[in-house]
Amino acid sequence: MAVSVPAVSRTSGTATSESDFSRAVATEWPIYAVLIAATSIVIGLIWDISWHRTIGRDTFWSPPHLLEQGGAIISGLSCGYLALKTTFAGTASERANSVRFWRFFQAPVGAWVCIWGTLMMIISAPFDEWWHRAYGLDVTIISAPHMVLASGMVAIQLGAMLMALGAQNRARNESDRKRLGIVFSLSASVIVLMVCVIIMEDAAYANEMRGSQFYKITGMVIPVFLIAFARASRLSWPATRIAVVYMLVLMISIWVLQLVPATPKLAPIYNPVTRMVPPPFPLLLFAPALLIDIIMKRFGDKRDWTLSVILGTVFVGTMVSVHWYWAKFLLSPNARNFFFGADLWDYTRRLGPWRYEFWNSDLGPGGQRSLVALAIGLAIAVAYAIVSARLGLAWGKGMSRIKR
Amino acid sequence: MIRTFVRTLSVAVVYLIASGHVGSPDTWFEGNAGPYPVTVQIQTAGVVPGVARVFVRVAGDRPASVTIQGNKFDAQGAAPPPEPTEPVASDPGLYAGKIWIMTGGSNSVTVNVTGPRGNGSVVIPVVAVAFSRYPLSTPMVIGLSVLGVFLCVGLISIVGAAIREGSLDPGQPPSDRSRKRARFAMGLTSVILGLLVFGGAKWWQSDDDNYEKNMYKPLASAATIETRDGIPMVNVSITDSVWRHRNDASWLQQHDANAWTPLVEDHGKLMHVFLISEDMSSFAHVHPDSKDSIDFPARLPPLPGGRYRVFGDVVHESGFTHTLVSALDIPATLQLPAGTADPDDSWLIGLKPNEGSTAALEDGSTIEWERPKKFVAGNPGALRFVVKNADGSPASLEPYMGMAGHAVVARADGAVFVHLHPMGTISMASQMAYVMRTAEDSVRGRLGKRVSEAEMSAMSHAAIHSNVVSFPYAFPREGPYRVWVQVKRGGKVLTAAFDANVSAAVESGS
Repeated sequence: MAVSVPAVSRTSGTATSESDFSRAVATEWPIYAVLIAATSIVIGLIWDISWHRTIGRDTFWSPPHLLEQGGAIISGLSCGYLALKTTFAGTASERANSVRFWRFFQAPVGAWVCIWGTLMMIISAPFDEWWHRAYGLDVTIISAPHMVLASGMVAIQLGAMLMALGAQNRARNESDRKRLGIVFSLSASVIVLMVCVIIMEDAAYANEMRGSQFYKITGMVIPVFLIAFARASRLSWPATRIAVVYMLVLMISIWVLQLVPATPKLAPIYNPVTRMVPPPFPLLLFAPALLIDIIMKRFGDKRDWTLSVILGTVFVGTMVSVHWYWAKFLLSPNARNFFFGADLWDYTRRLGPWRYEFWNSDLGPGGQRSLVALAIGLAIAVAYAIVSARLGLAWGKGMSRIKR
Repeated sequence: MIRTFVRTLSVAVVYLIASGHVGSPDTWFEGNAGPYPVTVQIQTAGVVPGVARVFVRVAGDRPASVTIQGNKFDAQGAAPPPEPTEPVASDPGLYAGKIWIMTGGSNSVTVNVTGPRGNGSVVIPVVAVAFSRYPLSTPMVIGLSVLGVFLCVGLISIVGAAIREGSLDPGQPPSDRSRKRARFAMGLTSVILGLLVFGGAKWWQSDDDNYEKNMYKPLASAATIETRDGIPMVNVSITDSVWRHRNDASWLQQHDANAWTPLVEDHGKLMHVFLISEDMSSFAHVHPDSKDSIDFPARLPPLPGGRYRVFGDVVHESGFTHTLVSALDIPATLQLPAGTADPDDSWLIGLKPNEGSTAALEDGSTIEWERPKKFVAGNPGALRFVVKNADGSPASLEPYMGMAGHAVVARADGAVFVHLHPMGTISMASQMAYVMRTAEDSVRGRLGKRVSEAEMSAMSHAAIHSNVVSFPYAFPREGPYRVWVQVKRGGKVLTAAFDANVSAAVESGS
């Protein structure tokens, strides 16, 4: 179960002996199980998107789906067992570290969230099947049943993160705190990765990085997570760690997918690809994350309103500074190689000069590119980021108190 | 609002106009895949993207394999790999498979047969459009609602538990303050969830409205009577604004519309127009000319006054086929002299119901329908006709627009209309467009010109060696139907009509 070490039996500041370690593993296994579940879901999703961009045809039993479903099964079974065990046969410490659900059932908060997420993923399957029959097969990614599915996936990842968080916040010695802090950091990275994958259609391609739309979306969505997780983490450089893990996982996905031979199985094929189409190169989130860490460390837990204005402004400012020129590079021939995986497109795309152009430019009243329109758009992006940062600070403060 | 929405969705699957024909969505083909005679039925899903079911019947030699391959008319990158089919255990010679059709419009299915006589293939045009509405069944509504309520209540409870006890030290009981905060959080979560469910329902409704709006509708058209040089004409005019602006790129972009490809001649005609009186007693098949592909005037045959359903079959260069639907009132007082502007025009008036199997043709010959004892919707093989001389000997037939015969099937209420040839429901021009298309055919009109020339050449060499005319088809729905069969003898087009009462298909669950 989720308790790292029973609070009543802990002594602070002692080194973890081998028996302590074994006991920790024995009691912490659900935390690792749901971390594996959360990770397989996001990896499965990245693979699934690549599958649709490369091969097209899939089944309920396609490998990426199995990975995602496997995540749901691991999450549901491990947390379901944990809830039943704690309720009916839990030790005193296990019960002490849980919350009551409907006045009877007992389990850590994160376990309940994971169970809820699993049920959401299960319910989305017949709904999605009906949707396909009614409106067509995956006409768009953003459909009602897909959002139910995504809610379930994100819930499992949030649950995994909460389980690690509760254990981290209960830890009484530095060794446990560090170990569980790393687990929390990894589970937080999974969520940031998931969020970035969800917004990938609108905010990931280099072609989008010179329009304010890109900064509005990233400014609205990313700071809330990055800042909340940074505040709740007990490690140093928390946001930077999360951003680096996000980037590494996506880069490894890019490299691995490119190695896999695959061809489209559906018509029409306008772009005859021969290898799995990888996701676009990750956003350079380490840059704003680094500044977030520095600023948050300086401010501590005080003056959150001022802090959110600074963080929101710095986030968008850094994103613009970094991605404005990075985009130019990604669209250049220098990025069209294995490492960056640029200029690799879906089999359904009719290739043309649009590949090397900037999209979603901010236009003035005359329909021409306009610096004024861009400036207004970026100002709106900053406003979004400030609100997002403020929510993140509040959420992070709440999360840092979670102990069960 | 949700009840209205559910009721809207709970209607049975409604077949609206299925492109190429009316209320008859399946594609039928009979011909040869190399040395193998095949009959192919393609059932599209009614939504796009969707999975089409393909049935291939191979006559004669048992093939080693039958594969099917989907494609889109303008896909120049590559073709997807062929899909296998499986023999249907209960029906020797029949093979079944599935093809994913991902984009709407002009698609094709290529059937490949491998057997003792080598390999053979044939390409069959398929029009893929969204034409059906799938019901949300009551058990599904109840199931989703119950689970939805359970999950909402579950989430509210989790939030309550988290706020009440989540931040307490292990073992510490919740205080009154934390209970109060939990109740507030649960209330707030309920409001947020309510808003999300409300927003989700609005979103779903909006998606449904958009789907309904984008369901296939033929190009809007109108039929009017005009007099030209003193001769009454029926003018079928394509009034659809998208068609009228088909060459105006900026208009199309503003209206988020795709440009139609030009029309091509099918059997040497740009449009086949059928006028069927509402009581189905009068029928005409005429062929207008057009200078602008907007107005299609044809000489009006001597039809009696009354209200007529007007169906205009056209083929686009992409291979997409349309049946334009309109109506025409012919005044009883209108004097319509006999005579034709096009030698392939034909009509039959004053028909009485004919539930029998034989009909007399104008030249004294007869046409006999080898009708089954009972007509059941979905059962193929019902349209086979034998033409005999007056003395009962086999009659010789001439090609009528390149074919042994043409047939029109219409349901009494006009909900079903289909124009058939011995090769099935597909258009010959559409099939040729697929076969002849090359990578250089990006210039509009270039392919259409070649298709017309090739079709005219094929028609000029056509010869009919049998007095049997059959049309691969199955009545799509139950109801009273009339079937008009047209053959050509002695340079004259002869038309016969039959009636059939079709009963509903028995659900096999397959």
